[in-house]
Parts: sequence; C-alpha cells; structure tokens
Amino acid sequence: MPKNWLSALARYVFILTVALIAYAAVLLLAGKNPILAYIDTFDFTLSSWYGFSEVIVRMTPLLFTAIAVALPSRAGLINVGGEGQLYLGAWLATWGAITFTNLPASVFIPFLVLLGFIGGGVWAALAGFLRAKGYVNETITTLLMNYIAPLVVGYFVYGSWRSREPGASAFPQTAAFVQEARMPRFFQTRIHLGFFLALLILFIYWFVLEKTKWGLKIKGIGGNPEAAKRMGIEVNFYLIAVMFVAGGIAGLAGMSEVTALHGRLRAGFSPGYGFVGFLISWLAGGRPLGILAMSFVLAIVFSSGSLLQITQGVPFAAINVLMAIILFIVLMKPNLRRLMS
Amino acid sequence: MKKTALIVVIFTLAAGLLGGGTVSSQEQSLVIGLLLPGPKNDAGYNQSFYDAVVEVERNIPGVKVIVAEYVDDAEAESTMETMIRQGAELILACGFAFQYPAISVAERHPDVKFMHPGGWEVTENFSNFFGTTQQHFYIMGVAAGLMTETNKIGFIGGMPLGFTLGNINGFHLGARSVNPEVTTHLMWTFSWGDTTKEAAAAQALLDQGIDVISMHLDSPIAVIQTIEAADAHTIGFMSFEAQKYAPQGWVTGLGLTWGDYFTESARAVIDGTWQAGFVRGGLAEGFLEIAPFGDGVPEEVRAAVFDAAEDFKNGLIEPFVGPIKDQKGKIRIAEGEMWGNDQMGDFDWLIEGIVGEPQ
Amino acid sequence: MISFFAGLISGTIMYGAPLLYCTLGEVIGQRAGMVNLGLEGIMLVGAAAGFTVAAGTGNMWLGVLLAALAGAALNLVYAFLVVNRQANQLASGLTVMFLGTGLSAMIGRSYIGSGISGLARYQIPGVSAFSWVRSTMFSYDLLVYLVVPAAVFAWWGLFRTKWGLHLRVVGEDPSAAFAAGLKIPALQYQAQLANGFLAGLAGAHLSLAVARAWTEGMIGGRGFIAIALVIFSKWHPLRAIAGALLFGGSVTLQLQLQARGSSISPFLLNMIPYVLTLGVLMIWGGVRRFAAPAALGRVYSGEE
Repeated sequence: MPKNWLSALARYVFILTVALIAYAAVLLLAGKNPILAYIDTFDFTLSSWYGFSEVIVRMTPLLFTAIAVALPSRAGLINVGGEGQLYLGAWLATWGAITFTNLPASVFIPFLVLLGFIGGGVWAALAGFLRAKGYVNETITTLLMNYIAPLVVGYFVYGSWRSREPGASAFPQTAAFVQEARMPRFFQTRIHLGFFLALLILFIYWFVLEKTKWGLKIKGIGGNPEAAKRMGIEVNFYLIAVMFVAGGIAGLAGMSEVTALHGRLRAGFSPGYGFVGFLISWLAGGRPLGILAMSFVLAIVFSSGSLLQITQGVPFAAINVLMAIILFIVLMKPNLRRLMS
Repeated sequence: MKKTALIVVIFTLAAGLLGGGTVSSQEQSLVIGLLLPGPKNDAGYNQSFYDAVVEVERNIPGVKVIVAEYVDDAEAESTMETMIRQGAELILACGFAFQYPAISVAERHPDVKFMHPGGWEVTENFSNFFGTTQQHFYIMGVAAGLMTETNKIGFIGGMPLGFTLGNINGFHLGARSVNPEVTTHLMWTFSWGDTTKEAAAAQALLDQGIDVISMHLDSPIAVIQTIEAADAHTIGFMSFEAQKYAPQGWVTGLGLTWGDYFTESARAVIDGTWQAGFVRGGLAEGFLEIAPFGDGVPEEVRAAVFDAAEDFKNGLIEPFVGPIKDQKGKIRIAEGEMWGNDQMGDFDWLIEGIVGEPQ
Repeated sequence: MISFFAGLISGTIMYGAPLLYCTLGEVIGQRAGMVNLGLEGIMLVGAAAGFTVAAGTGNMWLGVLLAALAGAALNLVYAFLVVNRQANQLASGLTVMFLGTGLSAMIGRSYIGSGISGLARYQIPGVSAFSWVRSTMFSYDLLVYLVVPAAVFAWWGLFRTKWGLHLRVVGEDPSAAFAAGLKIPALQYQAQLANGFLAGLAGAHLSLAVARAWTEGMIGGRGFIAIALVIFSKWHPLRAIAGALLFGGSVTLQLQLQARGSSISPFLLNMIPYVLTLGVLMIWGGVRRFAAPAALGRVYSGEE
C-alpha cells in the first residue's frame, strides 16, 4: 500500500513539474518572466492566510464537480454535464430560498442542501434514464443539457424571479436571500460550509466505493455490465441512481456558491466549474486523495490567472494553456519507470 | 531535451535577477487599480475607462495604474485584494456586477477608496459615479430622427437593465421631438459581448429597413461594421474610438469622458480630501461629450444636435417630463412630474412608439 | 410579413454556414470513430489567427487559408493523443479546447479593436427583382456559397470513394479494418486534419465575414453546437445541411421576432434546437438504424 502511495505521489509531482517547465516556456515565448510569475503565485496564494483561504473558496465547487464526474466513471458512465447540473442545483435551491423566507437557519440550510441535491440530481438522472433504457448515450445528453440549464436559469432570472429593488436598475438577479438561507462562513474569510460538506462527500464517496456492497456493484457494472447483469445486479437501477447522486453532488456546487457567496441567483454565475471538474477527475483517475490534491492545484491555477495579469501582465486566458499542458501530459501516459532509468 | 530544459531554467533565473535590479526609483504618489470586465482596447465601454486612467497618469506625475482585463464576476474580489497588496489606494471597479464584491473588499480595507460606475450603493469609502446618459441620449435621438429616411431607427442593447431602458427611452424621445413619425426598434443580445450575435442583431434590424442604429454594448465594433457594410448610419456610444469603423455611416456619438473626473478624484485621494458620493454628471460636468460628426452629416442635423447640446449644458432640456405613456398607453410619468437622476435605474417599461420588449 | 420571412431565411443561411463547415469536419472525424470535443478551441484559434492575418496583411482570403491551416495544425494535438497514445477521446478533446481557448486569446490580443473590411459579399443574382428583398438580404460571401458544395463533396468523399469506405470501416469495426490491411492511423490522421481544417475555416468565417471583429471567446459554444448537429444529422453530411439551418434559424428567428416586438422569451427560443436534438436522439435511439458509428469513442485500448 505505501509503495502504491509513493508511486502515485511521484506521478503527480512529475506531471506538475513537467507542466510547470512547459508553461514557463510558453510564458517566455510571450515575453514574460516565468520565475517571477511563479514566485508571485506562491506569494499571493500560499504565503498568507487570506490568499490560502481564497484558494479553499475556489476549490470548493471544483471538489463537488470533480466527484460528480468520478462517481459515474466508476460505473462506466461519462458525465460531461457537471456545468448544467450545477446550474440546476442552484436553480432549485434558489426557488426554496426565495419561496420559504421564514424558516430558522437550522432547518433552512439542510432544506436548501436537499433542494440543491435534487435539482442537479433529477437533471442528471434524466440522462441516466435515457442511457439505461438504451435511447441515448449519457455523454451526448449531459453535454447537450449543459446548454439548456443556463437558459432555464436565465428564463427565471430575467423573468418572474427578477428583483425589482428600487434604484437597482432591474439587474437580472433574484432578490437577496434572507440571512437564514445563507450558508455560514468561517474564520472571517469566505470559506463556507460548502467546503466541509464537499470534504464529507469526498469521504462518503471513498467509503461507499471501497467499503460497501454498493461500491462493489457499481465497480462491477463499470468493469463489465453484461457480467454484472448476469450476476443479478439491477444494472439499469444503478445507472440511474449513480447519475442521480452524481448530478446531486454537482448541484451542491451550485447551491453552495449561490447561498454562501452570492446570496442571490444571477444568470451565468459559473465560470466553467463543471468542465474543470471533469478535468480534475481525469487527472486524479477518480481517486479521492487525487481529487483533493488536484482540486487544490487547479484552484491555485485559477487564482494565478487573475493575479498574474496584474503583477506580470500575463493574459488571464493563459491559464487555459496551462490546464491544457497538464492534461496533455497525463493523457500521454508517460512511463515513469522507463524515464527514471 | 533535459539540457534544453536546464538552459531554459538558468536563462529565466538570470532574467529574473536582472529584472529585479532595475526597480524604478521614482517616487509614487498614488497607485490606482482598474478592473475591467473586457479588453481595454474594445473601442467601447472598457476603453472609455482605460483611456481615462491613461489621462490621469499623464496629468499627475508619479501615478501608477494597474489594469486587470477580462475580470470575471467571481474573480473580482480577489483581483481587488491583489491590487491592494500591490499598493493600490484607489480602486476603479468598472464592471457593472463588481458593485457588491467591491463593497465587501471596501469593508475590509477602510483606508482604500473605491469607485464604481453605474451602481446605486454608497458607503464610507465606496463611491458611485456615471454619466447622465439616459437624458443625453435625447441629443442622439435628435440626430437619428433627422437622419432616418425610413422613419425607423434601431437600438441594440446588451442586457435589459433599467439604465439601458432609460437610454433607449431618451433616444426615442429625442427622435420623436424632431420627427413624430419615428419608431424605434429594439433588440437585446442578452450578453454584453457576444460579437456574432451582435452582428446578427444589427443585420436583422437592417433587414427590416432600419437605417440609423445606436447601441449599448461593451464593444460596438461588430455592430458598426455590419451597419457600415449596409450603407446605413451609426450613432456611437461610449468611446470615440468607435468612429474609425464607420468612415461613411458615422453620424455622431455620446462619449464617456472620465479623464478629468478621475484626475480630480486621484488628486483628492492624494490630498486626503476624497469623499464618497452618488455622483452623476453630463455634458456640463465633462462626464459626457458629443463625438465629432461624420463627413456626410448635413448642416441642419449638425446645427440641431449642437443646439440640443447647448440646451442641455444650460439645463434647458429635461427629457423625462410628463406626460409620458408606455407602450400600452398607460401614463408612467404624469403631467407635471419629472424623473431625475435617482430614477434612471427604475425603468422597466418603454415609451410608446418603441418596438421591442422591456425585458 | 413577407419581409419577416425573407429576413429569417436570409439570416438563417448566413449563420448556418459556419456551423455547417464545422459540422462537416466533425462528421468526417466521427465517421472514423473519433469524437472531438475540441472544436470550440479550434474554431477560436481559426477566428483569432484568421483575423490577425487579415488585419495585419489586409488580405482576407490569406486569413481564411491560414486559419484553416492553423486549425488543422492545432488538431494534430488531438490526433496525436488519440491515435498514437490511445488516450481517452473526450479528455483529449477538452485538452484541445483549453489549449485553443488560451492560444487564441494570446494570438488575438493585440488585434482586438482592429477593423477589417471583411469578406466581400455578393447578393444572389436576380433576387433584387422582388420588391420585398432589401439590399441587405441574401447577400453572402463566397464561403457561404461554397458550403453546400462542400457538404456534397464531403458526402461524395465519404460514401462514393474508396477512401471514404475505408474511413467508415475504421469507425465501424477497427479490427475488420486492421484485418483488411488498412492503415488505420493514417486514415484517422487524415480525418482529423480535415476536421481541424474545416473548424478553423468556420472560425475564420465568424470573425472575418459574420462579426468582422475578434473578441476573446467569440465562438460562444458554437463548437459544441456542431457536435450536437452531427448527432442531429445522424452522421450524414447532407442531413447536416438541414441541421445547420435549424440551429442558424433559431438564432435568427429569435432576433427577427424581437425586431418586430414579439414577446416570446428568447431563452425558451434558444432552447429549441437543443431540446429538438434530444428529442430526435430519443426517437432514433429506439430505432437502431442510422445509429452512431459502432466504434465511436472506443478506439482506444482500454486502460483508464
């Protein structure tokens, strides 16, 4: 076991090192100084409590959306729809938050968590259902539904949910949620309950897959669906259930962003967390600790995007190049042992 | 392979050391942080602010400006925090959605001053400013109403906000004042920057026979070039840079000119006299300017626009004076009533004669 | 009313054309068994490179050509990962998407705000005889006129040539292709070069002919729409024409309705093509005929 651990660690370190060197070359080509860029990144994210807390804040939705990809992948399902599920989770939670305004926080927050889960879950279960019944492949449906979900949110935010606060210029957003509907924040930072919820879910994800019969069945379906069927596993039920749970988890990303950070729903509030979650799950190979580590790394990458353009004049979009390089190296499947010798 | 990597590393290290040695010794009087939601050279919204801070740098020696472009709403807070760590004492949070992020950063940094265009909140160290574009679009309407041959003028809006609706209403009132036959056709793209859709929207207006078009978008380039290709007329908004895309069809435009106001504010921060407020200004205050006319604009149009602008400067015109009816014929501003600066965000209706939806 | 329909049809053709170019490329790629989620990034690079070259040299067609070549070159990354390294196709596609998004921003950065003349437009001869056709309608650049011939050419290539047959065998049954001695990697590279070429061309059409401007992220999801279109057209180049018209039409319909003061929510209108595609998929999913190439997405060796 520890040996496995070490080789996994070595793999991540190798990937990151090569990626950072390759990105340094890109920065050099763009006429920027990579060393200063890396020093700034470290300085602004990890060397201060505030910077570190912001990395945690960014990491939170990424954890959710990465698990939402990793779980179905164990059952052989490819969920590219984290972005859409995130929107629908935020949407249903918002419905709850602006409809029932006089619940105490101890009831309200769990209720909104449930709604966020159901919102994303039902949206994804639809794709699971179509797949289980043999109509359409879930990759295609989840991809298409990514485009429908923000339109659903837009329809409500520009329409009947739009706040008409005087002087507020009819900005397309809902009214502010009441305080009881806001997820609590901690340590005088923006770190919120969603982060701890994500950690809990990451633990449950590991526990269910490794320690329970359900996990065994899910992995069985992922390994060989035909054999699983012959063994009497209700494959169709599991396909739908797994998609429901995965979508629900992605929905929590949206729900927690909206209730903890924004306090209201706006159209287009996610800068592509769903897609980055897919990337993280891939980089981590679906392993829980890998998800934790890669979410952390990509949260730093995201932070570096906004700060490097200020300190070094690197365009924000350049972080996309860095993400591409990391993914490219992983997909090349470098053989570490051969490289070392 | 390994050798090249090593050389690259050594090279960058050396570059870093050399770069670190040449820190400027000039005394800095103020560091200003500018946040833009788009690119600084968009010939529109973003450029109007960027050009203004460049002017501040010219006007006050020792002022340094840090610019962040393409700032996402979700990134706004941390971008401002980074700027403050870089020494910024005045933050210009120039995205419409940056208002609340800026306020929460402002609470953490009471010694840093924040300015935001077009919002509605004001705190101890968070100020709000904008041009009274809704009223002044009346002058643009005068130009459009006189230029149109089909009596159909168009407007492309990014998002249906109260301020944007006000601009359209002002535009329409101006056009009707010189040409009672005019209808104003409105198109929303539901984004501030979907270039392809903006071009498509302009094309759809042109296809309906509309021959003078104005816009409220981040960057007008795609719209103007589409209008130009169809030999129709453009009325610009925000940055004077827009004019260069319309060598033939340019009529005039309403420019946002913040240079003097920003310079004044920067001086006030340096002197310690800066105060927050809800600031609105027009032609008279120098917040807005009328763009130069295009070559083909007839003399009587120029004269009418000039007169209207003079009247505005002297406070003789107030566009939003009742009775004003909405599209359904309902009186929205009653006889004897007037909507002023503090109500310009309250529009959720359009004046009769405008074709389009208020949301 | 007639001018409404004229405007609708005129606009639909204009905005359907770039979608169709991109879709044709992806049809070829998927027929060879490969799903490429990177089209968005390739189109972005095409749009940025084409615009940069056109604005720098003043030669629009040089821009189009280099955009197509840049698209093909970028797609080599995808081809390398999928063909040589047997990497997962979706993740490889996302790699290209991220790469294209970042590179296009860096390429186009200093050309934001540049003006170009755009590809010259020519009105369809004779239509000006109708009084309800305005001078701005049915006026297109050469790439629009060439798009249907391109679809026919793609159909001919895929279904009437030996090359197309071989390509489809690779997509349906790679082991049979291998047994028949086909050069699978070469065929897959060719398919992806064509795909990148056409996606780059489509991007350049958006920046050089439609918008006549470059802005970051200007493709706005059209690369993903093209993938939906491939499915909608059931992997057939000629049916893709109908699909592109449907998607181009939904945008134009929404704008033309707005220009006439209709009150149908644009958000609902925007959903139509996606919901329709899902519906079509479900109906065709039941009937197993015309389904996807059998080996689509699976031409890799298994692990991870």
